[in-house]
Amino acid sequence: MRAKVVSAVMACLMASSLVACGSSSTETTAAGTSAAKESGGASSGKSIRLVNGKIEVDSQLKKLAEMYEKESGVHVEIESMGGGVDIQGELKAYYQSDNMPDIFVCGGAADFDNWDGLLQDMSDQAWTSDTEAAYKDGDSVIGFPYTTEAVGLAYNADILEKAGVDPKSITGPESMKKAFETLDSKKDELGLTAVIGYFAEPVNLYWSTGNHLFANYLDSGLARDDSTYIDMLNDGGKIDDNRFADFATMVELFNKYSDPQLLVSGTYDQQILNFASGKYAFVTQGSWIGATMTGDDAEAYKSAGNFKCGMIPYAFEEGIDTILTNSPSWWAVYKDGDVQDAEAFLQWLTTAPAQEVLVNEAGFISPYKSCTYVASDPFAATISDYTAAGKTSAWHWLNMKDGYAQNYTGQVFADFAAGSMDKDTFISTFKQVTASAYAG
Amino acid sequence: MKSLFQADNRVRDEHDNDSLTSGAQTIAHTGPFTDRAISLIPLIAGLAVTFAALILDFTGSKLSFRGGLLIAGVILFFIGLYLYPTKKHHRAIVNIIFLFPLLFCFVVTVIIPFGLGLFYSTTDWNGIRMTKFTGLGNYITMFKEQSFLWSLVLTVLFVIVNMVLVNVIGLSLAVLCTSKMKSVGFFRASFFIPNLIGGIVLGYIWQFIFNNVVLKWTFETFGYNSSMLSKYNTGFLAIIIVYIWQYAGYIMMIYITGLTTVPSDVIEASAIDGATAVQTFFRIKLPMIASTITVCTFLTLQSAFKQFDVNMALTNGTGSVTFLGQYLSNGTQMLALNIYNTAITKNNYSMGQAKAVLFFIILSIVSMLQVHISNKREVEM
Repeated sequence: MRAKVVSAVMACLMASSLVACGSSSTETTAAGTSAAKESGGASSGKSIRLVNGKIEVDSQLKKLAEMYEKESGVHVEIESMGGGVDIQGELKAYYQSDNMPDIFVCGGAADFDNWDGLLQDMSDQAWTSDTEAAYKDGDSVIGFPYTTEAVGLAYNADILEKAGVDPKSITGPESMKKAFETLDSKKDELGLTAVIGYFAEPVNLYWSTGNHLFANYLDSGLARDDSTYIDMLNDGGKIDDNRFADFATMVELFNKYSDPQLLVSGTYDQQILNFASGKYAFVTQGSWIGATMTGDDAEAYKSAGNFKCGMIPYAFEEGIDTILTNSPSWWAVYKDGDVQDAEAFLQWLTTAPAQEVLVNEAGFISPYKSCTYVASDPFAATISDYTAAGKTSAWHWLNMKDGYAQNYTGQVFADFAAGSMDKDTFISTFKQVTASAYAG
Repeated sequence: MKSLFQADNRVRDEHDNDSLTSGAQTIAHTGPFTDRAISLIPLIAGLAVTFAALILDFTGSKLSFRGGLLIAGVILFFIGLYLYPTKKHHRAIVNIIFLFPLLFCFVVTVIIPFGLGLFYSTTDWNGIRMTKFTGLGNYITMFKEQSFLWSLVLTVLFVIVNMVLVNVIGLSLAVLCTSKMKSVGFFRASFFIPNLIGGIVLGYIWQFIFNNVVLKWTFETFGYNSSMLSKYNTGFLAIIIVYIWQYAGYIMMIYITGLTTVPSDVIEASAIDGATAVQTFFRIKLPMIASTITVCTFLTLQSAFKQFDVNMALTNGTGSVTFLGQYLSNGTQMLALNIYNTAITKNNYSMGQAKAVLFFIILSIVSMLQVHISNKREVEM
């Protein structure tokens, strides 16, 4: 009997180790490492640590860190995360083990709210007057912008020209439909697989539909500080019926003219490669694909004639004439870290030699007015044009609820694309899903 | 058996006598008072130092030597305890000293985090800090959340289907691989290899297969242009297929071990009695490996319950389903993945923790059931 009890208890404890995995911290270990860090930091000279969320520019940032160390003697350690790593989760683990970096990446309101009260107000820094893309919380500036990204309907200018479609003529749903029809009828002579490379795969690409495409419902055509639709959404998940119906009509159009091989189960790589090879006239991705086209897909892009690219607004309502540009994420300075050196490093990043590396080598589009470098990126020129004309809207989707796209709407877009829903069901389901996302 | 015990007792007696005599000698040399003082000084000093270190720790002091202080205190305490002149409790003290390192590790890595986990599940902790207690709020909301209930139902379904299929397939593979076929070793190895590949890698490999190879085939044959992974029912089927592919080889190995331990004289006897191969299998081999079947059943039950990596890599829980009259977008999301997503992507750590506690309760019930049943069966054997 006793053996039985003992074995039952043991089994119980074994299973309990499972739950223990879930909670990663104990008070003692957290405090223990902080002491180790304090003493370590003091003895090894000045060093700051930056957690970067764009793993693709890791080597460029390391180069910058080297340059900065030569100049100021402060060592900057670059720690890059990406490729499916949950950065905020990782940062929380760092926080629990008292191993916080001095500078780390934050991607929007939800992220900044998490760290509320733990971030340094940088409003006294010189760079804040040089940009409008800084992340502000009330009067305090807590996010350092480092690049600009744009969301618009990207097109292959050469193909549109050959087909006799003027991208500027697409100003609303009617003209968009007409352009798609024209292109579809000339598919064979233009060498197109499909008019548009749109897809709604929910596992790895939920962000393309749930965040970036849906962003157009929230912001397209609005002034940068107009937060009408995001406010509605954050007020218990309300959706504007008329605007969303128009948006749904556009998605339906995309579903119809997209590549059926891609539509439901494609991959990002496939989508960009096909666009770079000139097989799609349009693609539903943002300016970041430029780096892929001139990098990984350079060969295909070259054999397709290094065609010109541009972006048009997602004109799902007549009169929408803006593309969405924003800093996709910001760097924040941790209050209890080495604030002074971190701020000095960020200030240095806005100077000409650092901007040159960021723009020319990392392919960033600088959010700083004083920056004179222009990236060789295929989309850089379009973005500059829209910015100069003042035809840009903000990215208010960054303020959506955590996990809204991944756990809720990405799937609805996928079902719509797969044909298991018609437009009306799509709209009603979308609203229902949104309500439950904001309820729980 | 009896003589062994006697021998053991004799050794123990001699040992006790030894310590008695040596104790008597030290008493004769130094007297009981000094002896006690020698042990009490490190004992008390050790306690004091340990407490000081702990207080420094909890007050968040920046003094870096407090870790060393804590260790020194604990060691001092045990030296004192060891030297304490007692005949009655000496054995117990030695036991404690030897057990302490293990117990300490167990407490730090399991018991304390478990307690903290329970604590956090009653707060609104977000992974960084907590602002208030919610009591049982998380547990109540949890059961009002349709998507969680769906995950629960789906997991139970997954466990039942897999428990049956993995065991049936594993056993049939084991029977095949113990037959007098050529190159049996090669087949054993190749069935087992999938189990050596990590679940994430495996998930991505199969994702490619489902999204490209299978999709192409279904597109050409049925004109069905979405992959198996995009619907919750076919996606669920896909996870089951991959899981069986991964796990059946492992279960097969255990069954092979079981089957080879069936005594050959029994099989020979049955052959002489004219039993067919089928009869031998169902009447002789199967009852003889009953305990192996129990082990395998619970192995599959537990591992299927904890299914996470293949689920995450293959579908990441996507697929739409209508459940309790509501459209849900987590059609293939199982319990472990639901917990992970609640905490990580929905940024609701305390709710994730509450779900993890429920998960723990379910798993411990399963474990206790396992212990109970296997004990009973062992008695019967």
